[in-house]
Amino acid sequence: MNVAIEQENKQGIHPHKFALWLGIASMVMMFAALTSAYLVRRSAGNWLEFKVPDIFFVSTVVLLISSMTLHSSYLAYKKGKEVPYKGLLLVTFALGFAFLVLQYQGWLTLYAMDIQLNTNPSASFLYVIFGLHALHIIGGISALIFAMIKAFKLKFKVTEKRKVSLEMVLIFWHFLDILWIYLLLFIIFQ
Amino acid sequence: MANVDIHAHEEVHAHDHHEDHDHHGDKYQSNFITTYIFSQDHKMIAKQFLITGIFWAFIGAAMSIVFRLQLGFPEESMAWLKPILGKWIVLNDAGMGTLDPEFYYALVTMHGTILVFFVLTAGLSGTFSNLLIPLQIGARDMASPFLNMLSYWFFFLAGAIMFSSLFLSTGPFAGGWTAYPPLSALPQAMSGSGAGMTLFGVSLIFFVVSVLLGGMNYITTVLNLRTKGMTMWRMPLTIWAFLVTAILGLLSFPVLVSGILLLIFDRSMGTSFYLSEIFIQGSALDRVGGSPILFQHLFWFLGHPEVYIIIVPAFGLVSEVMSVHARKPIFGYKAMVYSILAIAFLSFIVWAHHMFMAGVNPFISNIFVLFTLIIAVPSAVKVFNWIGTLYGANIRFNTAMLFSIGFVSMFISGGLTGIFLGNSAIDIPLHDTYFVVAHFHIVMGIAAFFGMFCGIYHWFPLMFARYMNETLGKIHFWGTLIGAYAIFWPMHYIGMAGVPRRYYTFANFEAFNTFAPINMFISTAAIIVFGLQILFIINFFYSIFKGKVRTEKNPYGANTLEWTAPVHAGHGNWPGAIPHVHRWAYDYGKDGIEFIPQTVPLKEGEKDMGAH
Amino acid sequence: MGGLLIILSIILIFVVLVQIGRINEIAVGLRGKEQAQRQANNRNAVMGLVFMVAFLIFVIVSFFAFKDRMLGFGPHESASHHGGLIDGIFLTTLIITGIVFFITHILLFWYSYKYRGQKGRVAKYIPHDNRLELIWMVVPAIVMTFLVIGGLSVWNESMADVPDDMKHGLNEGEFLEIEATGFQFGWLLRYPGATDFKLGTRDFRNIKAGYNETGQVWTDEKNHDDFLADTLYLPKDHKIRIRIIGRDVLHNFYLPHFRVKMDAVPGMPTYFVFTPTKTTEEYRESLSGYPEWQAMADPSDPENKFKKWETFEYELACAELCGDGHFSMQKIVRVVEMDEFKKWYNSKKSFYSTEVNPPKETEVLSRETSLEEGHGGEEGTHTGEGHGEGSHNVEGHSTEESHSGDHTNGTHTSGGTTTHTEGTHTEETHSGGTHNAGKADGKEGTNAGKATTTEEGENKGKKGKIIKKIFNKGKKEKTGDH
Repeated sequence: MNVAIEQENKQGIHPHKFALWLGIASMVMMFAALTSAYLVRRSAGNWLEFKVPDIFFVSTVVLLISSMTLHSSYLAYKKGKEVPYKGLLLVTFALGFAFLVLQYQGWLTLYAMDIQLNTNPSASFLYVIFGLHALHIIGGISALIFAMIKAFKLKFKVTEKRKVSLEMVLIFWHFLDILWIYLLLFIIFQ
Repeated sequence: MANVDIHAHEEVHAHDHHEDHDHHGDKYQSNFITTYIFSQDHKMIAKQFLITGIFWAFIGAAMSIVFRLQLGFPEESMAWLKPILGKWIVLNDAGMGTLDPEFYYALVTMHGTILVFFVLTAGLSGTFSNLLIPLQIGARDMASPFLNMLSYWFFFLAGAIMFSSLFLSTGPFAGGWTAYPPLSALPQAMSGSGAGMTLFGVSLIFFVVSVLLGGMNYITTVLNLRTKGMTMWRMPLTIWAFLVTAILGLLSFPVLVSGILLLIFDRSMGTSFYLSEIFIQGSALDRVGGSPILFQHLFWFLGHPEVYIIIVPAFGLVSEVMSVHARKPIFGYKAMVYSILAIAFLSFIVWAHHMFMAGVNPFISNIFVLFTLIIAVPSAVKVFNWIGTLYGANIRFNTAMLFSIGFVSMFISGGLTGIFLGNSAIDIPLHDTYFVVAHFHIVMGIAAFFGMFCGIYHWFPLMFARYMNETLGKIHFWGTLIGAYAIFWPMHYIGMAGVPRRYYTFANFEAFNTFAPINMFISTAAIIVFGLQILFIINFFYSIFKGKVRTEKNPYGANTLEWTAPVHAGHGNWPGAIPHVHRWAYDYGKDGIEFIPQTVPLKEGEKDMGAH
Repeated sequence: MGGLLIILSIILIFVVLVQIGRINEIAVGLRGKEQAQRQANNRNAVMGLVFMVAFLIFVIVSFFAFKDRMLGFGPHESASHHGGLIDGIFLTTLIITGIVFFITHILLFWYSYKYRGQKGRVAKYIPHDNRLELIWMVVPAIVMTFLVIGGLSVWNESMADVPDDMKHGLNEGEFLEIEATGFQFGWLLRYPGATDFKLGTRDFRNIKAGYNETGQVWTDEKNHDDFLADTLYLPKDHKIRIRIIGRDVLHNFYLPHFRVKMDAVPGMPTYFVFTPTKTTEEYRESLSGYPEWQAMADPSDPENKFKKWETFEYELACAELCGDGHFSMQKIVRVVEMDEFKKWYNSKKSFYSTEVNPPKETEVLSRETSLEEGHGGEEGTHTGEGHGEGSHNVEGHSTEESHSGDHTNGTHTSGGTTTHTEGTHTEETHSGGTHNAGKADGKEGTNAGKATTTEEGENKGKKGKIIKKIFNKGKKEKTGDH
């Protein structure tokens, strides 16, 4: 949006990607606040410890795979390979959706274990933190939907603009993945 | 002319992945909606923030007049307000109307919330970051005009929700802008803690989204889209200020969201993040294990940087205006930059000075005292540098300059009382008294406002191609300077006498009930000062349509880039190429030349003041 | 009608002002821009000086006019020991900041005046001066350092809790603990009985409005002699520890004259330790020398012959917004000499002894004796011994260790055990329950460790009967996880 020739682009990074990183920084701060609160609360006692249901590990694997498929889709796009690009996008979307379903199953399992939102602060925090992450996954899925619409509606062409666009979806998705792993490990190791 | 820009814009316009709009000339064409309502032009968005901010300032100030009427004239009937306030004015048999204490607290709460967030955050940094960043760094617009537009509309939405809460039958939230649980978590603790609090929380979350979207844009634009030659060390202080403010917001507001999120869960989902061992309205609540102090930590982790988010833009605006009208470089430009950076960094590690009496381990408080009093140092440096700017100057006294001088006075007064409060031992008698009220009103309510006025008067011609009326401006300044001190200075004494804040009446305590005359004085002053702000608002709107027309590009003889754009700059700001920059922004009076714009190349052998 | 007139006049004023503004602009235009600007410069610069002088005079005059009403000045010398220290550091800070305030304001307005735009003047090009920057960075830093050190030493002394080995009681070297519970909208002041001078356990689930307002747990014998008072009586020159708690929302225990202030948090007891140094009488004496205190105490009542200073009382206020009645939580505080205090103390009867479980003759006598001997004697009535270490379990911790207040984010530990109770203030928390630690004194059910038993009793709402029943049964139930 700014005529390239007139700009001395100081960072060499595309402005919108930069803005995305800033947004990610703010999301990190929000989750950092929640995990700090978690630690502080835990040290105050009356903390029910429970085992995190295995299904959450399954969902983790699913999310990891989805990151890989999205990355492959991106690589395919860069190489101009239309079919894998589109196909892998679809797979990623499905996996992302599956992640949400598995998360939900996880909560149901906890519920059945009598670990409900109000059972104990440790449970409350888990539901809130995992829930907030899931909300952001929904955001990521929305981005994926936009990416898929573009992939399928527009005539296939490798342009800088579209590459950056796809890259941003990828960065965000990877962020959600890494964030999830951090959150899961955090909860497990406490 | 405009077309050239638009097409040039089209080619390189990158869009973020959340939008799928096409490339356009569309959104900049003048249909009313895209020009004035869903505009994506930073200059229009700036005006939207400004006007919305003025609206909210009026509401917030009007609220303060109502509760000052209660405090200043407790024996007088307020029945005349019944047509407006309805059930919140209680009539006794004799027809004497008193303000319902619940509503008094609602007014106090809303006054604080509206002014801190909607006016001094959105209205101040939203307006000026949007207006000045692209123009002063030499960019066509923000990095993402679409996100920029969203940033305004989320602010609007937040405001609409908060506004609607004013009309609830249970009343708006009334537990103080600080919203401490359990008061804010339990609807049975206070009427406003019902639906009013829910709307309050939702409104603030949308507000934070607005701030974050704006902040992302401002940082990206400043770091990525500067024109050729505009190195960081040649940027005007305004830009440094807006950049730092945006970073502060980006890192601190999300923590508030976490705090509010947990509060919403406590309120509506039965969790116990903040609640423990409560017996209220005859029953013991089934909530254990929570801590109200957790909320305070999460809140003040934002809350403290928030007040710097408010004052730092004012720092930038004042420095710029003062330099232009003193015809002299800002004294100690690099020191000014470093002091802003130092203040911003320190602002993250002082938050618990709001919690000295909260039951926090006193040992921890030692650390917070240390860092809080350290902040005094860069703040002092700034004051000395402003005074140094005036030394040896050739001052042009217009309204904007007057406000910048007034700002320094206010910042000195308000900042010095911070030294009392930041020293925890002294905070023991002063915490939650009128001394605190005096302190934060003088730094935020006056100083930050003076910075805002300074900016409005100075850049009004840039925004509206007309000038505000100088005479009315000077009346506004002198009246507010004297009046504002008249309002808030006596509050120091009341606070030092031990009178707590957030008291509907002082009458219940022998120790406090002798201040009726001062209260009357303060309230009277407040009414007069409010009237002066109305004068300002009249001047503002009148001048948009009937003010003296601006015919020259650079009426003040300033060096910065915004004055090189045409008087009626369209989208894209400069027809043709964006100017390049060769020097810093403060060559006033150098080598006998009154001012040398940034676009003028350095002469042979001339020292580059903007080199780092 | 009157209202309409007022509104119209206001509008008229605005219209007039706007017209003045417009006319002036035209006049300026006629005069010529430069000349007009110079005139404006002169006028405003002079106004600045006038303002400066008026303002600084106003500051000084108003300070002295109000001085005698401010805490720490005039008659309002601190009524507590640490308060005097606070007043000292306050005054130091006032002087330092006052000097800075005056110098900077004078320079600000003087330079504005001196360097106002004049014909032929050219501004000096002085972009920076690093040496000056260094000076005015280092000097404030040094001054701040002094203020920090001075302030923190006062802070740490003021906020210190009683030493671990200090005993409860009214003898010299002992401390008296009083519990203040803030609720919407008032204070409950609970004194420990003279038997042991220790407060008994409480549990919020025991609270019964109008009957057991603080939720005292009757199976804890320390509760049996506790009594509630309507006035906060304090003995002069004796260390007081106020244990502060909120019952519903946040409140704040605030004694202005003593420079005492601390939030009352539901779920987390806090504390403030101080020593009153002036009796109410003595404070009245200091007030009597000041003119404003000579006025009649109640001008509206001709019968009332007292002057203001004669009826002065210390007061307790709430200093944290707690709802619609925040401004009405007043209680009188009275400081008296120790003998008078003991007399007052003796006259108080505990709720338990009068209502819940009226005592037999012998118990009353032994309680009185203990007071005269001046110690929290365990004249065999209660499990005094059992509380050697770690008792004072009001909040489940030992008094001798970490006193409740230091909850950094709610860590109530007495030495690291996660004792943040299952929300009860009872001692079941301590891993191992320090009380009784096996000091079976033969009384069943006294272990107060499992005070939760009483809840059932209390909740059933029947008075003495149920409690006695459980008491005697000695049932030791532990509340499960909440």
